[in-house]
Amino acid sequence: MLNSRRLITLGLFTAVLSSLILLTHVSADDSTMTDAQIVRIKASCINVKNSLGQLRVNDALLRVNRGQVYESMTSKLMTPFNSRVDSNNLNSKDLVSITNNYNTAFATFSTDYQAYAEQLSTALDINCQNEPVGFYDAVANARTKRSQVHADVLVLHQYIDDYATTFGTFVSDNQQTIGVGK
Amino acid sequence: MDANKETTAELGFWDQHRFLILIGLAITIALVLVSISMALYSSSGAIQLDLSRPGYKTTSQTTTDESGFIDYPTSGKLDNKAISDFKTLYDAQAAKAKAVDAFGGDPLNPDTLDISAPQTN
Repeated sequence: MLNSRRLITLGLFTAVLSSLILLTHVSADDSTMTDAQIVRIKASCINVKNSLGQLRVNDALLRVNRGQVYESMTSKLMTPFNSRVDSNNLNSKDLVSITNNYNTAFATFSTDYQAYAEQLSTALDINCQNEPVGFYDAVANARTKRSQVHADVLVLHQYIDDYATTFGTFVSDNQQTIGVGK
Repeated sequence: MDANKETTAELGFWDQHRFLILIGLAITIALVLVSISMALYSSSGAIQLDLSRPGYKTTSQTTTDESGFIDYPTSGKLDNKAISDFKTLYDAQAAKAKAVDAFGGDPLNPDTLDISAPQTN
């Protein structure tokens, strides 16, 4: 009985403390936006929306074009080469491992792009004349998500380099079998 | 004639309206299936890749043709030539893939969009 009372008290205390921390955080965010900034957002609302609309279209095109290139790297080069190595009874473990990592990174890229595109659409759906703060936050959120997509792209580039390095190691390890340099 | 009238009177509600019910059911099923496919289209991310949407049609004409990507043969002997061919192919495509710093830059920066806090002197 005493234990359950203590638990309830502890739970209540934690809830109150969390709420206070959350409130402080929210009010800190609000305080960063001045009236002048709100006026500025309202004033440039239409221009910003046009820019965001154009960005959405350009990024969609970029996603399609780059997506094709990144997907072709694995479907037309990495995976077929791994299969060929395997069919020649050579060790393709390292190459397969990098290809798997690359595929996972590509899936992450797709997911993160989807999240970014949805967030950008959310920002565009907000009426920036009536909700300048909400609009600003939505754009800031989209910005974070876009930078995540860029980070994913860099990871993919890194795996492309890693595959090339591993390919070089594979060739030097199997010089005798392949007959490279003869 | 009288016999026909009697038969009609004996038919129940469902029997009398079965053609309308058939059409209604067909429409309902079609609506449900369309709703499911739209939900999948949206949730799978296919919507993001669909450049035939309104507003994206002009963009879809500028998509690049990736026919330059040649499929590397999955079978065959792995000899000096096969390795050399793959290296040439891979290096060229890797350079193409890394040529663009996609999603780099910071177009959503509040300063770029002119929505940042005005500078106070």
